[in-house]
Amino acid sequence: MLFNSDVFLRFFLAFLFLYWLVRNNLKARNVLIVLASYLFYAWWAPAGETTAFTADLVGYVSAALWHGRFLGLLVLTSLVDFSVGLGLERLQSQVKRKLLLSASIAVNLGILGFFKYWNFFVDSFAAAMAAAGFDVHPRTLGLVLPVGISFYTFQSMSYEIDVYRRDIPATRSLLHFLAFVSFFPQLVAGPIERARHLLPQFGHTVIITRAMLEEGIWLILWGMFKKVTLADNFAPLVEMAFGAGTAVASYSAPTVVLGTLAFGLQIYCDFSGYSDIARGLARVLGFDIMWNFDLPYAATNLREFWRRWHISLSSWLRDYLYISLGGNRRGRSRTYVNLLITMLLGGLWHGAAWNFVLWGLWHGVGLALLRSPICQWQLPIGTPFLRRVFAWVITMLFVFYGWLLFRADSLEQIAGMTIALGNFSAPLWLGSFALNLVAFALPLALMEFWQWRAGDKLIALALPVWAKAALQGGLLIGILLFWERAKEPFIYFQF
Amino acid sequence: MKSHLCEFEPKDLARLLGLPLVPVAFFAGLMHGGVWLGALPASRPTLDVDHTILIHQAEASRSKKDTEVLLMGDSSCLMDVAAKELAEGLGQKTLNLGSFSYLDLNAYTLMLRQSTAANPGHLRAVVLLMHPEALRRTTAEAYYVDFLTNFFDGRAPCRRGRRADYIYCLLGVDVFKSRLLARILPTPFRGRYGQYYGFSDRLEQFLSEHHGSAIDPEPRIFQGNAEYRLARQLEAGSRAFKAAVPAGVKLMAGITPVPETFVGPNYSQLHQRMLEEWSRWLQAQPLTLPPTLPDKLFAKTTHLNEAGVRVFTAALGEALSPHLE
Repeated sequence: MLFNSDVFLRFFLAFLFLYWLVRNNLKARNVLIVLASYLFYAWWAPAGETTAFTADLVGYVSAALWHGRFLGLLVLTSLVDFSVGLGLERLQSQVKRKLLLSASIAVNLGILGFFKYWNFFVDSFAAAMAAAGFDVHPRTLGLVLPVGISFYTFQSMSYEIDVYRRDIPATRSLLHFLAFVSFFPQLVAGPIERARHLLPQFGHTVIITRAMLEEGIWLILWGMFKKVTLADNFAPLVEMAFGAGTAVASYSAPTVVLGTLAFGLQIYCDFSGYSDIARGLARVLGFDIMWNFDLPYAATNLREFWRRWHISLSSWLRDYLYISLGGNRRGRSRTYVNLLITMLLGGLWHGAAWNFVLWGLWHGVGLALLRSPICQWQLPIGTPFLRRVFAWVITMLFVFYGWLLFRADSLEQIAGMTIALGNFSAPLWLGSFALNLVAFALPLALMEFWQWRAGDKLIALALPVWAKAALQGGLLIGILLFWERAKEPFIYFQF
Repeated sequence: MKSHLCEFEPKDLARLLGLPLVPVAFFAGLMHGGVWLGALPASRPTLDVDHTILIHQAEASRSKKDTEVLLMGDSSCLMDVAAKELAEGLGQKTLNLGSFSYLDLNAYTLMLRQSTAANPGHLRAVVLLMHPEALRRTTAEAYYVDFLTNFFDGRAPCRRGRRADYIYCLLGVDVFKSRLLARILPTPFRGRYGQYYGFSDRLEQFLSEHHGSAIDPEPRIFQGNAEYRLARQLEAGSRAFKAAVPAGVKLMAGITPVPETFVGPNYSQLHQRMLEEWSRWLQAQPLTLPPTLPDKLFAKTTHLNEAGVRVFTAALGEALSPHLE
């Protein structure tokens, strides 16, 4: 189910009604959350799947069963990790605990790897063999990637690693654990929650205050505005710039630069919009889930960028991968290697394609460079403000070239678009492109600049009542204006 | 144990949800008030390829261009003929008013009346070109016919049909989009149209520069079935169209080509029979045009590609020349 759809609006209103009905019963609330989350998950249909169902109850149930065939994986992952958590708590032998954790991680990553990477590895193997002169035709399985599998697998895995490390006790309530893994506001595209933060919330009465409601409504509106009004209007621009195939002659520097800029804004508005809506929905229900973005395009170095971008994934990779590899405790060279491995796997987490590997490596190299003596150099002239601006420009150039690697459809396209940066001819539609880009980037830039200056992402809530109403009304009008467009799925659904 | 406690009053909730609706209501009032007072520009919703082409052709039909040869018809007329090159070949001012959306002959009649009213005394010939696919259609798409009629009448009623349409209409969303947004911000197109034309303003510019003709940028996909025939409903429409052709102006009819492997071996005879019958209904001079062309000259079953347009435009020029001397 997409947040930006009529069916979700109806689903959420019905859910709120039932949520109100079960207000005096904690267990009933958690059962409701699990069932609603499973329905929310089962509603999703893989892109391009055109199985038709009748528009009646039988049709809806058939559709839910067909679409919900991946629900089994979610339940399986939940049951495995819940049982492993209990086992890890009971076992005393460190060797056995390690074995159990390893087996569980193998199951989790096995499921993820099979659905997400099987075709990629098989195709890459065939390509490598072909390059070596062997003509092999291994079988690809035409697998459909279940939505959200990367998110809930990582969330569930973090729980058992925390239990293994004895950072948290294992939960004895299967219901709480099922709710933790499947909580619908953040099920399909994160934030990847930590058990120590979210899991306990299912075990006690939550209090919904006026401030929480206000924050929730604001975040839902702002998130929806970023998705529907901004990201979905950047989408055709990105398609126009990146859709010209692999021929170098199809591109010019202005299209590459503006197209990449549009994609950087699209992916940010799309993903941070989703995360804001997720947090907003949780706040309205009385829950707290983490911030996933903290004005990443205000970062003045790459490390800061990763502290602000997809925080739940970057902190996951730091806590469970980078630190496990030794972090920065084993000397400079090993730190560089650890950074490269972490970011490469972070890139691969996004998708089974070489451009994601390249994107991960690009950031790994950037982070390693940032730690090296070369980057301790500072601009010898100018005021601290100018030096900050210079650092910001360099950081953004690095980050946005990374977006080109991320968005490109193939390595050939990356090469073609990079070479085209030396071609300054402009397409006839450049003016219209720039006008659209500025028109939709402006509201984002103004809001984020205000939030950055105030150091508060909820600064809008500090406005006088009438100004707040005007701002929220403006967002609502913006959403209504573009709600009718074909519903674009969230970019991160594919990861 | 309780599930949750609500530490807020119902009035808090009402205020939180209700206050943002005030500016929305104000916006709706402003939009509808603007329309009522005539303070807003006319509706011009160039928000997708269909509307952009339809609006451009409608505006072209009622502007003074001193057109001598007027091409009218379905999307094959729009996409298969290079009107600019045809004009150069014939030495006559030529305008293509081919449509993209599923219109019918009644809609073309409406456009023809607009054009003859705006350009009295110049027109020498009207050339009606349609694809066999369009000739067998029994109905037009009512929405686009209504849209065109309202556009000529200076009205812009909201789109209706679904519950959501009424809400958008009430909130003034349609007014803002069609009267302000579409005029301020060019609409980006998706897919191949986006790659080829970019934005709505570029497509309009292209149409103007090419005397109303366009190019189909889609890759070659042949689909549909080749059991062509004339729809019975075409007869009444044809007579109405003929009635709108001013006296002394020649009316010619032609059927645009189909890919040669898409139709059976007897298609040429069928093409000829359909042309003769249709011309009789129209009381028009039938134009001898190639019934089929090689597959490689097509963008899809109904439209030629750029190379095909050159070939067909030359053939059309040859067929038209004797009638215009």
